[in-house]
Amino acid sequence: MTDSKYFTTTKKGEIFELKSELNSDKKEKKREAVKKVIASMTVGKDVSALFPDVVNCMQTDNLELKKLVYLYLMNYAKSQPDMAIMAVNTFVKDCEDTNPLIRALAVRTMGCIRVDKITEYLCEPLRKCLKDEDPYVRKTAAVCVAKLYDINAQLVEDQGFLDQLKDLLSDSNPMVVANAVAALSEINEASVSGSPLVEMNAQTINKLLTALNECTEWGQVFILDSLSNYSPKDEREAQSICERITPRLAHANAAVVLSAVKVLMKFMEMLPSDSDFVPTLTKKLAPPLVTLLSSEPEVQYVALRNINLIVQKRPDILKHEMKVFFVKYNDPIYVKLEKLDIMIRLASQANIAQVLSELKEYATEVDVDFVRKAVRAIGRCAIKVEQSAERCVSTLLDLIHTKVNYVVQEAIVVIKDIFRKYPNKYESIISTLCENLDTLDEPEARASMIWIIGEYAERIDNADELLESFLEGFHDENTQVQLQLLTAIVKLFLKRPTDTQELVQQVLSLATQDSDNPDLRDRGFIYWRLLSTDPGAAKEVVLADKPLISEETDLLEPTLLDELICHISSLASVYHKPPTAFVEGRAGLRKSLPARSGSSEAVHETNNANPTQVIPSQDSLIGDLLSMDINAPTPAAQNQPVTSQPVDLLGLDSLLGGVADTTAPPVAQSTTGLLGDIFGLGTAQAPAYVTPKTIWLSAERGKGCEIYGTFSRKNGQIHMDLTITNRAMQPMTNFAIQLNKNSFGVTPARPLQVVNPLPPGVSHECSLPLNTTGAVQRMDPLTNLQVAIKNNIDVFYFACVMPMNIFFTEDGQMDKRVFLATWKDIPAQNEVNYTLTNVQGNADTIVQKMQQNNVFTIAKRNVEGQDMLYQSVKLTNAIWVLNELKIQPGNPNITLSLKSRAVDIAAGMFQAYDSILHS
Amino acid sequence: MGGLFSYFRNLLGSREMRILILGLDGAGKTTILYRLQVGEVVTTIPTIGFNVEQVTYKNLKFQVWDLGGQTSIRPYWRCYYSNTDAIIYVVDSADKDRIGISKDELYYMLKEEELQGAILVVLANKQDMEGCLSVAEVHQALGLDALKNRTFQIFKTSAVKGDGLDPAMDWLSNALQNRK
Repeated sequence: MTDSKYFTTTKKGEIFELKSELNSDKKEKKREAVKKVIASMTVGKDVSALFPDVVNCMQTDNLELKKLVYLYLMNYAKSQPDMAIMAVNTFVKDCEDTNPLIRALAVRTMGCIRVDKITEYLCEPLRKCLKDEDPYVRKTAAVCVAKLYDINAQLVEDQGFLDQLKDLLSDSNPMVVANAVAALSEINEASVSGSPLVEMNAQTINKLLTALNECTEWGQVFILDSLSNYSPKDEREAQSICERITPRLAHANAAVVLSAVKVLMKFMEMLPSDSDFVPTLTKKLAPPLVTLLSSEPEVQYVALRNINLIVQKRPDILKHEMKVFFVKYNDPIYVKLEKLDIMIRLASQANIAQVLSELKEYATEVDVDFVRKAVRAIGRCAIKVEQSAERCVSTLLDLIHTKVNYVVQEAIVVIKDIFRKYPNKYESIISTLCENLDTLDEPEARASMIWIIGEYAERIDNADELLESFLEGFHDENTQVQLQLLTAIVKLFLKRPTDTQELVQQVLSLATQDSDNPDLRDRGFIYWRLLSTDPGAAKEVVLADKPLISEETDLLEPTLLDELICHISSLASVYHKPPTAFVEGRAGLRKSLPARSGSSEAVHETNNANPTQVIPSQDSLIGDLLSMDINAPTPAAQNQPVTSQPVDLLGLDSLLGGVADTTAPPVAQSTTGLLGDIFGLGTAQAPAYVTPKTIWLSAERGKGCEIYGTFSRKNGQIHMDLTITNRAMQPMTNFAIQLNKNSFGVTPARPLQVVNPLPPGVSHECSLPLNTTGAVQRMDPLTNLQVAIKNNIDVFYFACVMPMNIFFTEDGQMDKRVFLATWKDIPAQNEVNYTLTNVQGNADTIVQKMQQNNVFTIAKRNVEGQDMLYQSVKLTNAIWVLNELKIQPGNPNITLSLKSRAVDIAAGMFQAYDSILHS
Repeated sequence: MGGLFSYFRNLLGSREMRILILGLDGAGKTTILYRLQVGEVVTTIPTIGFNVEQVTYKNLKFQVWDLGGQTSIRPYWRCYYSNTDAIIYVVDSADKDRIGISKDELYYMLKEEELQGAILVVLANKQDMEGCLSVAEVHQALGLDALKNRTFQIFKTSAVKGDGLDPAMDWLSNALQNRK
């Protein structure tokens, strides 16, 4: 007996049993069977094998059974796309059933079956249902159009469903209108072209407004949301819509209220700010928002996140409602934190006393996060309301006296900001701060304290001792603290050079020699160079006046705020992120507030151009530092007697291991390429000629991404050198590059590496090594290269020209005899002549120049007073080029004769010679 | 003995006969189904899928399945074969071009194991059309002579006019009742 018996089973199994029950004559048994199938489906068993049998139960007059079968179909039609066609006829019949419930059920189920093969058969029944006599069927059909659009947009457009949907906007039944509106907004948002497919006009808007008063609450939300996408043609229309919407603010449903607020916020932009209507509306907006705060905490949170936006856009609305944002002891923490945020935004001279006493209370609560935020809030109030600064500072001092560790730390962080905002006003409290030095264990607090010590080093007698105490554990500190410590000690040194020289040497060597953090090391080197070359400049740089810090550091960017205002009452307004940031796969329309018409335009503009003075970002500071001409005046600076400072401040040379040549920057040997590049050091071997960078992609074409580039040959490899600049308002991410097939098979050797994300306004230099192992396709001109650069915004295509000299290989030196033989071997018609005009230098300098670019001179002869140079070049694709140069002393014009088996390269060769000789 | 058995079966009358109406698309299957059920001509559209109706003819209850005849649907006919008592195969007598295909589909179907016991009625439909094939010609064209071990009969019908359906159903009822 074989073992095959183990694989055959006498048990028929559950599926088989169900199958026979489904085919039973008895209706009762059939229904039970379908129920069993649905039950199995729900718990995750695969019952797709029963598809034909279940579908056969579809034509029944039993509504319960029909519903079950439809449920099954929605689930499994996708896994049996071919077989699903057997259900079509039943749908068609059901859509003509006498029972409107069955018609609606059929049309709804049809929309849920996402099988391409059958969608076209479902158009006719859908068309009928859109004109059904029963509103419930029409309403269901309207939603089905939106579903169908998601499956096959083209089909919906071709079949004219959009027009039918638009007709439903004037339906007599408000429920139908609301659902048609919902479907249309959905379709407009999903539109592939990015522009709305169905535009509303004044007439349809009027119908919507009529339906608004009669339909269900969720229908009202749909209508209000689509109203918010409409742009009224003038102020009058905007005002009349606003008037008709205002009653919705009193609705019990929070969604209706917020949607109405959205429409009003949007249309208020269109109204002239001097009209009487705006203040009326502003007054009307406050009570509903306040009411939202008495609902359950989750709704409160959503309301608060939206209020946060509203307050930033129109502070007037809630300026008298400060009290409702006071924190209740039993509020959940997320509500508390959000309320605090809004309190600070609403704080003004009028209510600051109240706010401060509240905040002081909060600072004694038990929840650590909340207390921290409360302390921070006090600091922000001080910065925002100048009159209150004094009271804030004394409150903070009180808090410091409590000696509660995290309160003290948080207070010190905000006091640093207060010092920035009001210089020379509150320095008397420094001594109190210094008492708490030992308790600081958080990086931010430590960094802030160190900053204060460095900034006021001249007033703190024992500043050097304090900083020295921090220095002991330098390597265990957070980077933030290390950087701050370095700067603070340099500041101290510049202020009190006599007794702190040792300290500064210590910190510089710690930062440059013992640290592997590039930021720290670079800053160390820069300070070092600065101090050793020009202490005057060092003072100007390190002790420069700092820009004032802005009142509100965490305001949303105006364009983002405007976009979010358009998304009030959606997830975007809760996240404070545009939908594109978290909804995948939808390009979507970017919403923006309508521009105010006429004279008020200017007002709007000034609003946007808020005079926000923000501390310049780190990058631009470093940029400034690097652009200083550090290298040029080296000898002069070193010999210059500097008034009170010792000349060679630190005896750098000995520290760095004694480089003899004092004029050469001492760092040259101890560091590698990076610093060398920064200081513009020449390396021993003159580099090959590199054409200057040209613009490849303008910011305009690149949607804010600007690319300058060139090609170079370094260490035997071709590089594409790029300067990528983000001229857009948003960070760019995920850069990638692709090269089209080209004449030389140039292809990237590794992926493009760009800082991710590339912040707005920042340039990034990168060098992409290229191989010549890619697919070859002849381009015209030969050196043309088509490039595609991709980032999170789009893909950009451009073409650039590769200079021929990057293809000159290092092994291009030909043997003399081979050269001679090859020259003779190549037919005379392959010889091309060219005149290079206005070349400087004699034969020797030319030989040298060309040698640096892998053009090798094989022989040199003097014939009748002319210098003849014979040179060979090997290209990366193993094509040899033989050149003869005729140089007449005194004549700046040179004749170049070129021989190669591939004459196509001649033009590129001449170009290369021309550029190199003129470089 | 057979008569007595069928007598009891009629008396109990419980079991519905399962009948399939098959044929190429446009042969008139759906029209025939509703002619049998409601006795009048209904406007039909191509059946993408199936129709199933209860038909009572002379106190006999039939469950009649009308399956779509489109090329894309024909592969799924087999899902309906089990427990089938009879097949009504409808041929468009006026469609001379496709009668060959119709024949192929018929023989392909009759080979099926599950249909070995099924009675076959062939309806040469659309006899009202001018220039259509006669019954004998259809018989010939379908090669019904070669059919063995099968209870079958061919009728000429016109579903639109209602001609010929009654004789066919009479014969079928008898055949089903007299079946062993």
